[in-house]
Amino acid sequence: MATETGPGVGGDGGVASVGLGDRRRLRRGAAGVAAFLLVWHAVSLTQDPFVLPSPIAVGEAFAGELASGDMTAALSQSVRHWIPGTVVGTGLGVAAGVAFAWSRLLDDLTAPLVRTLRPVPPLALIGFAIAWFGINDAGAAFIIAVGAFWINFYAAYGAVEGVSEDLLDVGRTLGVRGDLDAVRSIVLPASMPGIMTGIRTGLGRCWMLVVASEIFGVPGVGREIIRASNNLRVDRSIAYILVLSLMFLLVDVAFRAVERRVLAWRA
Amino acid sequence: MAGVNDDGATGDDETADDDGTAGDDGIAGESDATRPPAAASVALDGVGKTYAADGDGDPVRALDDVSFSVADGEFVCLVGPSGCGKTTLFRVVAGLTEATDGRVLLDGTEVTAPTTDMGVVFQEYHLFPWLTVEENVGFGLERSDRPAAECDRRVDEMLDLVGLAEFRDAYPKSLSGGMKQRVAIARALAVDPDLLLMDEPFGAVDAQTREMLQRELLDVWASTGKTVLFVTHDVAEAVTLADRIVVMAAEPGRVREVVDVDVERPRERGDAAFAEYVGRVRELIGAHP
Repeated sequence: MATETGPGVGGDGGVASVGLGDRRRLRRGAAGVAAFLLVWHAVSLTQDPFVLPSPIAVGEAFAGELASGDMTAALSQSVRHWIPGTVVGTGLGVAAGVAFAWSRLLDDLTAPLVRTLRPVPPLALIGFAIAWFGINDAGAAFIIAVGAFWINFYAAYGAVEGVSEDLLDVGRTLGVRGDLDAVRSIVLPASMPGIMTGIRTGLGRCWMLVVASEIFGVPGVGREIIRASNNLRVDRSIAYILVLSLMFLLVDVAFRAVERRVLAWRA
Repeated sequence: MAGVNDDGATGDDETADDDGTAGDDGIAGESDATRPPAAASVALDGVGKTYAADGDGDPVRALDDVSFSVADGEFVCLVGPSGCGKTTLFRVVAGLTEATDGRVLLDGTEVTAPTTDMGVVFQEYHLFPWLTVEENVGFGLERSDRPAAECDRRVDEMLDLVGLAEFRDAYPKSLSGGMKQRVAIARALAVDPDLLLMDEPFGAVDAQTREMLQRELLDVWASTGKTVLFVTHDVAEAVTLADRIVVMAAEPGRVREVVDVDVERPRERGDAAFAEYVGRVRELIGAHP
């Protein structure tokens, strides 16, 4: 209950005003981008377009794909992989991380399994994705979910391991009884900073995994990137890469706002 | 205080949940009276603690045959040299660490697990950083079966008691050490425990704040009539606060002597009697003057 009221109370810290330092940062960032584009353009003049297209060509490709509706179609397909994959993987990862770190029994039971499965890259599981789900949205979401799972599993596991015994002692003297009560009222809120960092890392990682998840033929942004570069249409390929970057940026900014609210007590 | 009458009836129920022994029986009987006692007696009966050896070392005897008692409403300080097992004893009394021998009785009921009949205050405050001051104070109340309105009233009372009403919405991070410890005291007192158990609560604040907190604690003690067991390594602090001082010796931790402090409060550090007690206790500890 207390964890629900917490963010509301500290809501004032959520919206950061754009200060003088921030504006200078923005100006410098813009200058950096401009310089990068200039160098890129200069180099591209000496190269074939299938090696390095000019930024202008990329812009045109971007505009063309957007106008034709192909880009929004691909994006909406990828979003259908990204959302369920991220949500399921994050949810299961956090839940398993918290449970295994809290329960000695679960930890002992699963440790060998976890260590065996951990090093398997999501990409290596494509065969299973096809066999279990088929070449479809669910298969692509599966690959993304695997990636999200491990990031969140380890972040949550580490965060729970780091919860101070002293806080748990205090809780017990104040009437906290049983595992569920302790996890809900102390372990979860105390490990929230670590869990949030994991979720944020996972959100970004999942946009990267969109490419891997569509490598076996499911349509989407990732598929377009691969197809365009197979056809030596590097300009189109970069245009779709930019879509992923923009989505990452959007989600990251939104999540940071959420994080600031949830963790207002740290400010 | 307004809270006293209701609290006897509702305050002693949470302990029954998972430890079958529960503090209930002993206390419930007494709280049937119209004016239930807000304080409880504590008795330590031959408490010993041996830590198993790790590796090749010998087992460590941290506490040996510690026996003393604290009467209803009494303020007892526990002092001793470092390594005399003060903190171990504190944890045993709190029910956080199991004794190897002997037992701790709170109003005649053996303490085997933490109980809300005891308000515990730690040296490092250990406030819940994700909760506001108000929510920290209300933490224990939320898990009692008091009605919400009474919980709110009780939180207000506690915040007034420690003078932090205007900081109710602040998070612990923005508080000074002295303020944090006030919140911790309010949090421990909120559920109206019979005993206030404190482990070097003022050890982490500066000298000036410490003296202020000592005065405040005595006021709280006077106004609530709680039984207090207060662990400290600061002899002057013990002489300032205590009715009686239990002086411990080290290796193994044991009771060396119990000193009655027969000086009117408020006690002045400049007084001859005060200095005499400090000297006597220091001598018992074997500390340098």
